[in-house]
Amino acid sequence: MRSARAIHDPERGRHSDAAPRGRFAAAGAGIGLRLPHLIEAATRAPSVPWFEIHPENFLANPHAAELLRSIAAKRPLAFHTVGLSIGSADGVDREHLERLRRFAADVEPLLVSGHLAWSTHGGTYLNDLLPLPYDEETLRVATANVHEVQHALGRPYVVENPASYVGFGSSTLAEAQFLAELAGATGCGLLCDVSNVYLSAANMGYDAYAYIDAFPAYAVAELHLGGFTREPDAATPGREILIDTHAASIDGSVWDLYAHALARFGPQPTLIEWDNELPPLATLIREAAHAERVALEVFAGERADASAR
Amino acid sequence: MPPLAELQRDIARAVLAGDTAGLAPLLVGGTEPLARLAIHRHHYESSLTGALAQKFPAVGWLIGAEALASAAHAYVAARPPSAPCIAEYGEDFPALVAERVGGILPYLQSFAELESAVGRASIAVERAPLGWSEIASLGATALLDARLELQPGIYYTRSAWRIDELFETYLGLARPETFVLRAEPSALEVRGSRGNVAIERLADPVYELRSALAAGSTIADAAAAALERDVSFDPGRALRELVAAGLATAIVRGEPSTGGLP
Repeated sequence: MRSARAIHDPERGRHSDAAPRGRFAAAGAGIGLRLPHLIEAATRAPSVPWFEIHPENFLANPHAAELLRSIAAKRPLAFHTVGLSIGSADGVDREHLERLRRFAADVEPLLVSGHLAWSTHGGTYLNDLLPLPYDEETLRVATANVHEVQHALGRPYVVENPASYVGFGSSTLAEAQFLAELAGATGCGLLCDVSNVYLSAANMGYDAYAYIDAFPAYAVAELHLGGFTREPDAATPGREILIDTHAASIDGSVWDLYAHALARFGPQPTLIEWDNELPPLATLIREAAHAERVALEVFAGERADASAR
Repeated sequence: MPPLAELQRDIARAVLAGDTAGLAPLLVGGTEPLARLAIHRHHYESSLTGALAQKFPAVGWLIGAEALASAAHAYVAARPPSAPCIAEYGEDFPALVAERVGGILPYLQSFAELESAVGRASIAVERAPLGWSEIASLGATALLDARLELQPGIYYTRSAWRIDELFETYLGLARPETFVLRAEPSALEVRGSRGNVAIERLADPVYELRSALAAGSTIADAAAAALERDVSFDPGRALRELVAAGLATAIVRGEPSTGGLP
């Protein structure tokens, strides 16, 4: 692989702080590859160690899938699904899972991830990542669904912490604890979206650094960073709410939290996500380079941990 | 707390229709958590109406962004998606937009269907074409009972109007000082691959033959449909032209039929 900063070592197992559940050997900071950048990525081979795509954008687009295969021949790829709905009481969308399985068998991504959320109910796809109560019933549902996904894909699935605006008073588990239970029950990996941690902590009123400290480090397979948008909070007049728009550069406070996450989790493949108001590819590459610099500073001991301030 | 299935049913109702009955006591987040739930409803609506606007820019050019947005909202309310590939969402949007706006634009549905076909054709990838020798080797009887598979980026659409000329005007390929949409029938073949699309106006019997083949008819049945339009039509020649144009990708032997060409 292109970098030696993160090394896939299946012998280390889950007891290790850097356990490789579903983790891919590509290291450093990759970028989310969206359709408007696809031809540029296929023809100019930008200097990015790896790409992540939303397979839902390619399943119905044979030309895009063809270009993606040519990119996959040169760069590691990861899949980040938005439609599996592992939190659905109805179960996962099996038709979509089968399409995803076939596409993964074709393109051979090094990692397949998705969200701790639900999107499908009664055959209707709600096109959003909806919140779950964190309790025993949801854990049973998500565990069964993750088992089914992993069985179908023949590989570990990697589950991402959501961006939260609203929660449930009946939750009996903290989100990080819920993810730890899910990882323990299914052997899935975890994707820590550092921006989601920052955003959810601000919106729901908890400590982002404490969340990172409680996150099960042994299961972490990837980190995400994305931009958010500040809007007036209709639920709390006079306050702001942070919306996970992926339509802006990464906030300075998130970079600080990212440094803390790296210090806790060790070197991790990190992804820059940008989905809306998409800038030129060069902007994403600059953000990825910044993530690399932060990592270098953290592991060289040259960056103070903002949680200690 | 209700079981998860009931909770998700209620939240789905809130996202789809804004009906938040019974949810307020269950939620946390800010002092009015229901207002936070509206973020999900807003995202659901705006992401889908945005996807339709991206899929039908020519319709937007024709009827205006406001009318397109209004039709998209109505479509999202009437036809929620059932699958996560949103690029496939909106297949029957042309019928709805025509129902809402088409009274003053009787060609709107066929124009929207043409735009949909252009969009689907542009993302197709052509396959290796079938050679004439592979067809000729079948023999006359087996040929009549066979079906042809056409290129994946081929679509056929009819209109009572010259919507292809209107579409070319939208694309900027034609820039007349005054554009008059002619009420003359168009039988159109849309062919695309890897981002390139061509729209060709076909003679009526050729359209019948090719669209019937695209719909899965046997060569005999497709030829019969074409001959119904024009008794002087030469199916053999039309078949050779279709193959020479690289439109066919495979021939599938069929069950023997009882009849032949009329």
